Amino acid sequence: MLEIKDLHVAVGGKEILKGLNLEIRAGEVHAIMGPNGSGKSTLSYALAGRAGYEVTGGSIVYKGEDLTALSTDARAAKGIFLAMQYPVEIPGVTTINFLKTALNAQRRARGESDLDAVSVLRLVRGKAATLKVPEEMLKRALNVGFSGGEKKRLEILQMALFEPSLAILDETDSGLDIDALKLVADGVNALRAPDRAMLVITHYQRLLNYIVPDRVHVLSAGRIIKQGGKELAHELEAKGYEQIIKDAA
Amino acid sequence: MTTRATAPNPFLEEFAAHAAELPGAGLPWLDARRADAIKLVRAQGIPHRRIEDWKYTDLRAALEGANDLGKGAGVASLHNTDGLEVFEFGSDAPLWVVENFGAAGMDDTMSAASLALSQSTLALRVPANASPAQPVDFEFGGAHARLLIVVEAGAIITLLETPVGGAESFSNTGVEIVLHKGARLNHIRTASNAASAIVIEDLTVRVAAGAQYRAHFMSTGAKLSRTELHITLEGKGAEAHVSGVSVLDDGRHADVTTHIVHAAADTRSTQLFKNIAGGHSRAVYQGKITVAKGADGSDSRQTAKGLLLGLRAEIDLKPELEIFADDVKCAHGAAVGDLDVESLFYLRSRGIPEAEARALLMRAFLGDAVDEIGNGDIRAAVWSKVEAALAKATETAP
Repeated sequence: MLEIKDLHVAVGGKEILKGLNLEIRAGEVHAIMGPNGSGKSTLSYALAGRAGYEVTGGSIVYKGEDLTALSTDARAAKGIFLAMQYPVEIPGVTTINFLKTALNAQRRARGESDLDAVSVLRLVRGKAATLKVPEEMLKRALNVGFSGGEKKRLEILQMALFEPSLAILDETDSGLDIDALKLVADGVNALRAPDRAMLVITHYQRLLNYIVPDRVHVLSAGRIIKQGGKELAHELEAKGYEQIIKDAA
Repeated sequence: MTTRATAPNPFLEEFAAHAAELPGAGLPWLDARRADAIKLVRAQGIPHRRIEDWKYTDLRAALEGANDLGKGAGVASLHNTDGLEVFEFGSDAPLWVVENFGAAGMDDTMSAASLALSQSTLALRVPANASPAQPVDFEFGGAHARLLIVVEAGAIITLLETPVGGAESFSNTGVEIVLHKGARLNHIRTASNAASAIVIEDLTVRVAAGAQYRAHFMSTGAKLSRTELHITLEGKGAEAHVSGVSVLDDGRHADVTTHIVHAAADTRSTQLFKNIAGGHSRAVYQGKITVAKGADGSDSRQTAKGLLLGLRAEIDLKPELEIFADDVKCAHGAAVGDLDVESLFYLRSRGIPEAEARALLMRAFLGDAVDEIGNGDIRAAVWSKVEAALAKATETAP
């Protein structure tokens, strides 16, 4: 599904990722853990194709295709979804209108026909109920005045709606209390599928108690320094990043 | 060096040539007001950028390049006026015309010019408590046009105003609006002028106790476009709520200049103006609020925002407050920026192509100003004009 080889990414002329390797197969859930400043968010933005995150070396191949040649929106249409750490507030655009616009843009890019407003609403309602996203929230301006938990639930609602092949969850646990965390994790787990891969980026092990990964990678100073199964997350929690980084050196 | 102050003023030449042929010429009260008006035009000359109020809008320079100045007779017509009184200055004027036509706010050159030179002159009276279901349409163009609207006590009316005119046209329109006690006027103007047109409009609005003036000005600009709005809240509890959007593509200019005077207690005003400037264009908003002595308990809010689509676009926002009363609430804010990159990335990461994402953000930026229009059909019609203007403005950016 995703093959990253010797990836170098610079932001504002400064190299953040320095030769990152990662391979994720369909159906797998991988976690990337790392201390602040290790390059976790840079990796997620580089995968999403954000302007200013310049790939200076290496390759990202997604479903056999060079991802770096594609625009941000083309990547989304091809099934890459980034659940953001800080979902952006956009006044003047209602949530439901945003969902309809995005869904239809992706459909159009794939050569499918637009869904009308009624069909979109029906589709959204079905997904919204399980994530406890109230109908009233859909009528409000996108993310404006939403609590941290509401914003994250809306991110997962989008994931359920767009049905991506590769979902990247960037610090989805940040700012969530335990109930909200469980709700979001249940939403994510419901979307685990044999034809879908997930990359869960997190600072803390807590989220991984609920979204149990197949593989865990430790990111430090722009490189993967250690890999393992789900038990690596517990080891990290016990020892701390400093010790793991020392051990790996 | 030539002194421009002595350059020939085409308005004076025109008055000298045509004064006797103007509608209503010979009515002593009207002749006197026109004579006063032309005196003012003579004293002040054509506005230019060294006059503070016209700093961003050099009318004199623009007119120097226009050779058909004043040649095209003005056009002004009113439609859907069943049950209302329309007076066309062919006969002796009724009292409501004599009392109000050319009577107020005559300290502005261009308004004085439209009074002195207007060949298209109309007056409309909405009788007390009337409430026509259909909006009144007002079309105008050419140089110069003049309209008086008197809305009597308790009457409610909607006015749709559309400037019409050819490519090389110069038009100068003066509109006087008088709202009696408890009257309401919803005024929507959509201006889609040619890129080479010079369009001046000066509105003077007097609002009596408990009356309400609501207006929305949608503009795509012109070679030079100036909309000047003078509102006086004369009676206790009078209100004015004005909003507008200017969406400009390459080579266009739109200036909205407002002055709202709170002259009585417990008066309220709100202003919300949004500007988008693409290509090499310039949007201007100057908004002055005066709260006069004795206008205690007044509440005034003013917001002006600008969105620049390119490096060669310019937006000038100038809010101004003058307060002489006590216990007054005044709030104003002005800001100019670019499209938010975070928002743009968020939308694109959801599969929305860049052009569509930009359009979505621009519509969102303008949204609250357009949504001030209460009537759903009219709002939808304005939105479709805004969409068309946005498509053009985006084409020419950056």
